[in-house]
Amino acid sequence: MTTTNYMEVSCRIEKLAMEMVFTQPGKDDGLLPINSLLSEIEDSFSTQPVPEPIAQAVGLARKWVDAALEEGFFSTDCLARLSTWNQWMQRALQTSAELPLPPFPPIFTVVASTQVPNPAPETLPSVEPLPVSLDLAENADLLREFIGEAREHLQEIEMGVLSLEDKPKDEHTLHSIFRGFHSLKGGSGFLNLGPMNRLAHELESLLELARQHKLDITSDHIDVILAGADALKKFMAAVERQVEGSEPPHPISMPIAALVARITDVVQGGSGEPDQESGSTTSSSAQITPETNSELPSPEPHPEKRNDSAAEQEAPEQRSIRGSVKVDTGKLDSLIDLVGEMVVAQAQVLEDPALAKLESQQLARNLSHLRRISNDLQRISMSLRMVPIRSTFHKMTRLVRDLSAKAGKLVELRLSGEETELDRNIIEELSDPLVHMIRNSVDHGIEKPEVRVARGKPARGEIRLRARHEGGNVVIEITDDGAGINAERVLAKARERGIIEPNAELTEKEIFALLFAPGFSTAESITDISGRGVGMDVVKRNVDKLRGKIEIESVPQRGSTFTIYLPLTLAIIDGLLVSVGRERFILPTLSVRESFRPTADMISSVCGRGEMVTVRGQIRPLLRLHQYFNLQPDTTDPTQAIVIVVQSEGQDRCLLVDRLLAKQEVVIKGLGETFKNSRGLTGAAILGDGRVGLILDVNSLVALKDSASLQE
Amino acid sequence: MSTAIITPTESSTHPTAGKYLSFLLGNESYGIDVLKIREIIRMVDITSVPQMPAYIKGVINLRGKIIPVVDLRIRFGFPNCETTERTCIVVVQVRTPQNITIQMGLIVDAVEEVLNIVAGDLEETPDFGTQLDTEYLTGMAKVKGRVTSLLDIDRVIIS
Repeated sequence: MTTTNYMEVSCRIEKLAMEMVFTQPGKDDGLLPINSLLSEIEDSFSTQPVPEPIAQAVGLARKWVDAALEEGFFSTDCLARLSTWNQWMQRALQTSAELPLPPFPPIFTVVASTQVPNPAPETLPSVEPLPVSLDLAENADLLREFIGEAREHLQEIEMGVLSLEDKPKDEHTLHSIFRGFHSLKGGSGFLNLGPMNRLAHELESLLELARQHKLDITSDHIDVILAGADALKKFMAAVERQVEGSEPPHPISMPIAALVARITDVVQGGSGEPDQESGSTTSSSAQITPETNSELPSPEPHPEKRNDSAAEQEAPEQRSIRGSVKVDTGKLDSLIDLVGEMVVAQAQVLEDPALAKLESQQLARNLSHLRRISNDLQRISMSLRMVPIRSTFHKMTRLVRDLSAKAGKLVELRLSGEETELDRNIIEELSDPLVHMIRNSVDHGIEKPEVRVARGKPARGEIRLRARHEGGNVVIEITDDGAGINAERVLAKARERGIIEPNAELTEKEIFALLFAPGFSTAESITDISGRGVGMDVVKRNVDKLRGKIEIESVPQRGSTFTIYLPLTLAIIDGLLVSVGRERFILPTLSVRESFRPTADMISSVCGRGEMVTVRGQIRPLLRLHQYFNLQPDTTDPTQAIVIVVQSEGQDRCLLVDRLLAKQEVVIKGLGETFKNSRGLTGAAILGDGRVGLILDVNSLVALKDSASLQE
Repeated sequence: MSTAIITPTESSTHPTAGKYLSFLLGNESYGIDVLKIREIIRMVDITSVPQMPAYIKGVINLRGKIIPVVDLRIRFGFPNCETTERTCIVVVQVRTPQNITIQMGLIVDAVEEVLNIVAGDLEETPDFGTQLDTEYLTGMAKVKGRVTSLLDIDRVIIS
C-alpha cells in the first residue's frame, strides 16, 4: 500500500471509530456515515492492490453494514462485530507499514459468533516500531495544531488519572481519560505517527475495560497509564522541537514494546482477563453500547483533580459548561493595544480645555458614560489574557506523587485558589519555579515518616499550594509542615561556599535570602530530584523575570512558607513616573523602596567620584540617572533633586532623578528589534498624554555602572 | 556605523520603474518605493532612547504601537536639522537582515509628491569613488529636470 493510500484509509478507519461512538443497538444513528466511510475505504482499495486479509475484512464489513442497512438499524451483534473489526483494521494497517501482516483471524468468517478473538497478541510489537519521520513540508500546520491538542489531552489525562487514585470508579474521569487517549490515537493515526498511535490505542483499550467495569483501576494501572502518558509526552516534545525548527528533522524513535507489554501485563494481572481486548469483545456487546452512549451527553466532563475534596460528590464537578473560542494571540494583542489607545484618546478629549468651557449637563453625562464604558472595555480586554492557574497547580499533584514515592516519604498536596486568574504568559513561566520549590519542599522540607512520627507529627506530611489575589498582585504560597530551614546550617554552608564573608553577621531574613544565591544547596545527599546546587537561584531569577518577588518564612521543626508575589499581568506594570530634564522614565514600583529629597549632610563621596547617600545609617551608592543616559538634568545638586532607593539583586542603591511625577499603571510595550540591545531599559509605555515613556530596568542599570561602561 | 554585509546578488540591485514617494532632505530630492510607505504623519514629540547613535532619534507612539524614528538628515550627514512646519515623519515598513519586518519612522524635511518613474528616467548610481558611500542608493531618476536619488530603505536603516 502506498503511504497516501494508507493515510487515507487509516484516517477513515479513525472516523469510522468515532462514528461508532454514536451508534446504538436498535437505532440507525451513525448508520449512514459508517456506510459512506466504508464505501470510501472500498474505493481507496479498489485502485490499489491490497493484502488479501484486509480486502477480505473490508468485504465482511460491507456485508454486515449492508445487512444493517436492510434492517434499518444496527443489531447489538453487528455493532460488536464492527467494533472488533475496526480495532483489527487499525492494527492491521499499522502493522502493514512495518511488519508482516497479522494472520487473518478465521473467526471473522463465522459471522454468527460474538466470540471474535483478537489479533492483538499476534501483532504486539516484539520489536520496536521503526522511527517516525515527520513530513514537515506537508503536515507542519497539522502537526502544530496536533501538538497543541495533544498537550491539552495529555494534561487532562494526567489530571484525570491522578484523581482516579482517590476515586477509581469515577465514570466521568474514566471517560475523559478514555476520550483523551482516543483523540490522541485519532490524531496520531491521521498524521502517521505509528508508534504513538499504537501506544495510545493500547491505553485506550485499557481504559475501555475500566469503563465497562471489567477492570478495577489500581495503582499499577495508574502507574502504567502515567508512564504511557509520559512516553507520549516525550514523543510529542520531540515532534514539537522539529516542527518549531529547534532541531533538524530526523526520524524520531519511540520505544513502546516494553510499555505495551506492561500494559498487557497489568491488564491481565489486574483483572484476570486473558487479554484486554478479548475482554471487550467476549462480553455481550449489549453492555458496550448503552454505556458509551450514556456518557456522551456530557461533551465536556471536568476531570479536575480535587485532592482536598475526596468526599465531594459528582454533582459539583458538573459545572456549567462554557463555550470558548481560540483566538490568535496577535489579534488579542492588537485589540488590547487599541483599547489602551482608546483610553488615552478618551482622556485627551476629556481634558481638552475647549471642552471644559462648555457647560452642558448632557455632555457631562455622556462623557462620564463614555468613560465608564471605556473603563469596562479596558478591564475586559485585559482579562482576555487571564487564565486560571488551575492546570499548573494540577501538574504539581503529579509531581508530588512521583517525588514522594521516590523519596520514600508520605506527602499530601493540598491545593486552593486554583481559580485565581493570571496572565497566560506568567502562568507559563511560573511552572518551572513552582516545580523547583515543590521539589525542595518534598526533598528538604518534609521529613521521612519515621522522623515525623518521632517529632510528634503525623506521618503524612502536608504541602499546601495556595494562590490568591492581594491588592494588585497575585500571591502564591507554598507551605510545608516539614523540618523548616535550619538557619545555622544555611549560614555555615554559605561561609563554606564563600558566598559570604566568614564572620559576617546576618539577620534571619538575610540568611534565608542566601538560599537564592547561585550555587547554594543544602541538600545532604545529591538526589536525582534536587540538590544539584541549582534550584532556588533559578527560582529567584524566574520570579524576577516576571517582575515578582519571593519571600521565605520558616520555623524550625514546624515548616516553611515560600511566598511569591506576582503582578497580575505582564502587560501592565505599576510604575513610578520620574523625570530627568525633558525625559520621563518609569521605575517599576516593585523595585522601589522609598524616595526622598536628601539633605547635604547625607551625601558623601569617595575619591571625588563615587557618591554615597546615608539612609538611616546605611551607606548606599548614589547613581545619577542623567549620567547614565547622558541627559541634561534640571539640576545637578542632589539636594534639589530626588533620591529614589531601588532594590536590585538584594542590594539597595540610590538613583538620582529630577522629579517624581506620579505613580501610575502603564501598559508595557516592547521596544522592538532596533533597541533590543539597549541596556537599562525593559520596555516603553504610552503615557497619559500619548507620549512614550521608557521603563527602566533597575538590575541592568546597576550593572551598567558596575561594568564601568558609563559615560564613555 | 557598520552596515549589513552585502552579498553580490544584493548589491546588484537595479533601480526599477514604478511609483516613488519623493521628499526633501535639505534641498536634495530623494525617493522611496511607495510600497514601502505606510503613512506620513506630522512631526510629534519623540522620546529619545539613551545609548543610541545620534541618528536614531528615539521612539514615538503610533496609535498604540511604539516605533523607532530615524532622522535621515543626521543619517546622511546634513548639518542643518531644524524642525519646521514642513518637517514630517514618513512611516516605512522595512525588513531587517534577520528577515523581520518592522515599522520605522523617518524624519524628512518635507514630503513632495508621488513620482511615477518610468524606465527611461532611470540611471545607475554614478561611482563617487571613496568620496561617497552609495550602497544604499539603488539609482538616480531624472524627472521634470531634477535628479531624485532612489533609496534602498532597508539598507539605509539597518546598521
